[in-house]
Amino acid sequence: MIKQSIISVVLLIIAIALPLVTGQNPYITGILISVLMMATLASAWNIVGGYAGQFSFGHAAYFGSGAYTTMIMISVFNSNPLLGMVLGIVVACLIALVTGSIVFRLRGHYFALASIAVAEIVRLTVLNLEFTGGAQGILLTDVTFFSLDLNSKNPFYYGMLLTLALTLAITAWFHKSKTGYYLQAIREDQDAAASLGINIAFYKNKSLLISAALTSIVGSIYAVYIRFIDTHAVLDLSLSIEIILTAIIGGVGTLWGPLLGAVLLVPLAEMLRSNILGDALFRLGVVSESSAIGMFLKDGLAHAHVLVYGIITVLCILYLPKGILGFFRRGK
Amino acid sequence: MIGHMLHINHVNKHFGGNVAVSDVCFSVEEKQIFGLIGPNGAGKTTLFNCITGYFPVTSGEIIFNGCIINKKRPDEVCRLGMARTWQRVKPLCNLSVLENVMVGAFASTNSPRKAEAMAREELEAVGLEKYGDKPAGSLPIGLKKKLELARVMATSPKMLLLDEICGGLNHTETETILEIIRKLRNRGVTIVFIEHDMKAVTSICDRIVVLNSGEKLAEGTPEEITSNPEVITAYLGGSHHA
Repeated sequence: MIKQSIISVVLLIIAIALPLVTGQNPYITGILISVLMMATLASAWNIVGGYAGQFSFGHAAYFGSGAYTTMIMISVFNSNPLLGMVLGIVVACLIALVTGSIVFRLRGHYFALASIAVAEIVRLTVLNLEFTGGAQGILLTDVTFFSLDLNSKNPFYYGMLLTLALTLAITAWFHKSKTGYYLQAIREDQDAAASLGINIAFYKNKSLLISAALTSIVGSIYAVYIRFIDTHAVLDLSLSIEIILTAIIGGVGTLWGPLLGAVLLVPLAEMLRSNILGDALFRLGVVSESSAIGMFLKDGLAHAHVLVYGIITVLCILYLPKGILGFFRRGK
Repeated sequence: MIGHMLHINHVNKHFGGNVAVSDVCFSVEEKQIFGLIGPNGAGKTTLFNCITGYFPVTSGEIIFNGCIINKKRPDEVCRLGMARTWQRVKPLCNLSVLENVMVGAFASTNSPRKAEAMAREELEAVGLEKYGDKPAGSLPIGLKKKLELARVMATSPKMLLLDEICGGLNHTETETILEIIRKLRNRGVTIVFIEHDMKAVTSICDRIVVLNSGEKLAEGTPEEITSNPEVITAYLGGSHHA
């Protein structure tokens, strides 16, 4: 336990200091923000998906709630982004409550399917409403937040870092508390859990609400950071799936697993997308850009980052069913 | 009704056209060890599921400690002081043995430290104190049954429903479990006990109800039950005379 506290403090100091090193390079800072964002999303999902074992495939709905509520509040009412964030949490919690009260009666695969259905309803509703910008989305030209320079990426980096720290702190507290034990009991065997006095519906909803609120905060920060959202960017099923994959590959039901998953997967995806491997080989003169291998690297592999991502996922599921962290803990 | 811990009042349970439990009545007194026996398909486990809130009854009343419980959820029934074990054990496999029992203990406390202390006591009571750190899924069946007992006892129940707690155990293991059950009764817990093993039942129970095809066939002391010709017929078939 002391070891874990030391690791957390060291990691936090490194994370706080990191922009001082990379501050001059907005590209790197951008990737770091993506890492923090996915780490927070996967960690928040982990509370309901990993600990309570309820595989929600609809977390994009909560992310979108935060993003859309914040953007609408800023663009229409010219409000402080913070107010938008708070209202976003309220909207996400309302959706979570409605979802939970209907969908938590179902178990296992049916819960997963129903959560997709609810998220799709949210997506289609937003797509067809007037005040959400429909298919055009919402573009923000100017935004102010107290006296922070929002043209720099650093405020967003620290905003995401704060949310990640909050999410991990809540998870760590859960890990040792009655609620954490109860969520895990529900995951392991719902009937046994009920026979031990656990109010199943209450604890499932509690975990979903906390998870949805945290996810919504990330959505709010993301929206102000990118300054443009549409249903494809913030409400798509693919976002929900990416969150789940990150958590699974890192290790569900563990404190650090989702963070580890994001630290490994986000830069990997970025490397594949920007074709770092191909560029390096061209620059070193190992492969000619016009040769067959060069063509493959440039046109094939660079466009295949989703495929590579998928293959890694399949390999992880086959050989590391408890995630990377679970694999290393197996010896204990 | 004073003195009755549990009162089953004309309980019926139908699954569609199937009558699983038909007009069953009996009462369990405080600190009794009460046996519920009968051939396969007699409706014993169904009745347990009705009592503990897993199935709604079709008609009738279940009164526990002066409180009608047949509309309550399983977790509410547990918090009223009635805990159960499962015929097919349900360990929380990926949690440790100690954590399993702690989950039970959280029914009466919010503090992890207190829950852990209670859990360690219950593990000691069933002789599992050495296995605390093992994953519950890794235990052999005999120890899993003991874990079930420790876990339900950690919820501090007034009454314990045990569904074939000796099922699948050998003679020595059965003896240890029966010994634990006697100790639990001495701690003031009332016990209702489903069992196939007639020897186990008659050696430990104060009173027995026999179910057959969902109906109550007989009720009495172990001596009365073992000498009841109808019970013998139900167990051994019509053509035998014991």
